[in-house]
Amino acid sequence: MADVTLSEIRKSYGTVKTIHGVDLDIRDGEFVVLVGPSGCGKSTLLRMIAGLETITGGTLKIGGRVVNDLDPKDRDIAMVFQSYALYPHMTVATNMGFSLEHRGAGKAAIAERVNWAAGILDLTHLLDRYPRQLSGGQRQRVAMGRAIVRNPQVFLFDEPLSNLDAKLRVVMRGEIKALHQKLRTTTIYVTHDQVEAMTMADKIVVLNAGKVEQIGAPLDLYDRPANQFVAGFIGSPSMNFVEGTITPEGFAAPGIVLPLPASAKGLEGQRTIYGIRPEHFSINDGGVAAEVVLVEPMGSETQVTMKLGATQIIGVFRERVSLEPGLTIGVRPDLANVHLFSSADRRRLN
Amino acid sequence: MKADLSPRMKVALYGLMCVLLIPFVFPTWWMVTSSIKPISDIFAFPPHLVPQSYDWTTYSKVFELQPFVRQYWNSAYIAAMVTTGTMIVSSMAGYAFARIKFPFANTAFMIVLLGLLIPSEVTIVPLFQMFLKAGMVNTHWPLILVPIFGAPSVFATFVMRQFFVTLPPELEEAARVDGLGRFKIFRKIALPLARPALASVAIFTFLHSWNLFLEPIVFLSSAEKFTLPQALTQYTDAYGGPMWNIQLAAATLTALPVLIVFIIAQKQFVEGLAHTGLKG
Repeated sequence: MADVTLSEIRKSYGTVKTIHGVDLDIRDGEFVVLVGPSGCGKSTLLRMIAGLETITGGTLKIGGRVVNDLDPKDRDIAMVFQSYALYPHMTVATNMGFSLEHRGAGKAAIAERVNWAAGILDLTHLLDRYPRQLSGGQRQRVAMGRAIVRNPQVFLFDEPLSNLDAKLRVVMRGEIKALHQKLRTTTIYVTHDQVEAMTMADKIVVLNAGKVEQIGAPLDLYDRPANQFVAGFIGSPSMNFVEGTITPEGFAAPGIVLPLPASAKGLEGQRTIYGIRPEHFSINDGGVAAEVVLVEPMGSETQVTMKLGATQIIGVFRERVSLEPGLTIGVRPDLANVHLFSSADRRRLN
Repeated sequence: MKADLSPRMKVALYGLMCVLLIPFVFPTWWMVTSSIKPISDIFAFPPHLVPQSYDWTTYSKVFELQPFVRQYWNSAYIAAMVTTGTMIVSSMAGYAFARIKFPFANTAFMIVLLGLLIPSEVTIVPLFQMFLKAGMVNTHWPLILVPIFGAPSVFATFVMRQFFVTLPPELEEAARVDGLGRFKIFRKIALPLARPALASVAIFTFLHSWNLFLEPIVFLSSAEKFTLPQALTQYTDAYGGPMWNIQLAAATLTALPVLIVFIIAQKQFVEGLAHTGLKG
């Protein structure tokens, strides 16, 4: 186990810059998720940590040792790939023991480690099978087995669940988290799925266009996003945004005036983006008038698309509501959960 | 796809296949049956598809008139060495072209491919001069070295490269993380997975070497060193006329191992073609 420290890490392909100076401290035993939209550089960053991509600038330390120019094999890391990358011509046992065999471990030691990993991941009955004879979930577990078998300092996961169906993804998510809790090995996990990030991470790093937008605990990011990008990226359905101006009467947007929290004091006259999550609305006759556009009952909650002035927003209500498209209702935003962002640089204001 | 064909289409398809088979089956049948016919029956008119009388002595004469066993061995060991050498060279070169990034890699590959466009007849004279100076004329070295490092190997390299290009890069990255260097990744991961492509390279190369004709007649001059295709031309009478039945008996013996190997390995052969992307 080890700390991982990224200082001013940069990556360029010729003149094209993809990672623009990332600083990140990962503590020993921490589960860190790199999350962001496609093309934001999260996989590139992970591959740079693994040693599969060269580092253009900055310093990467694993366990206090600068590893910028070390081969992957000398970094003491293990990686689980999106496609699992199991060797098709080797059995599960050989796949899992391959790295140990290559590092000169004895047969007995390899068998012991493979059996230990297989026991943890419930793979013991599959050790003689070939990857083609396994299901997606089993392949995923073998890939994890291959990673844990040699007890590396850091685990790297590159979107390991994206080839699985939705149900299995939830199961494997739990297994990876449980594995981390058991082994407490420093883990860096890349995903574009913010639900995975929220449920698994000790710390989330939100990336966009090769830059870190925010680093923090999942609920911190959810409750206090640093900017509009993070606010929109974290949470499903995403946060609603209404653009307007802060006035003494409230937040004035086209066709509507919304109530403001006390934290908006001193911001009068400023062009602002008013952000509120779908679940932070309540239906209230004395609230702001909204026209119902679409009602989607989900069972546990009801998702309602509404027109608030000129802006279309989504509200999620835990209670069962009987609404019809075209109906005008009153909705009240929970002022404690209103987020204000600057229209100019999209940063948080309150 | 077969299940979708109507019975009429099936009959038509089988009919077409039978017609297409004639140019392949008839010469083979003619070769085998003529090898046991008396020479006068071979060109009888109307021709007999089934021999009217049998003369098996042609096969013993094949061995009496030429050191045929020796020539068989020559062909076999040359083909084996060429096949092994080509598999080694083409797999390594194909892997390098597919996987190793180096300056002008694509240009280098294009230049190598140009080797396929130059007919061997064009290079045979300079090659002869070269091997003459090296003291290798009337030895088997030209027949071994030219295919391994020449045009036949270029085709094999192309086949191997096409295969390695399709191998998922993650497999190699996983191997790098597991601690393997470039050569071990090639040997332990890429090469075992390339077996279908290697099999097709082996079959192509073996056939090419086994059937090689121009190079042996240019480079070899003594009967003890001849290979089989060259030996076949030596079954002539005192006036230089071919002894057809003996020559065809020798031709049958020459074709036999190749046919057997092809029949046994045809699944690998077809798979190899499919894997290398050469299938239409």
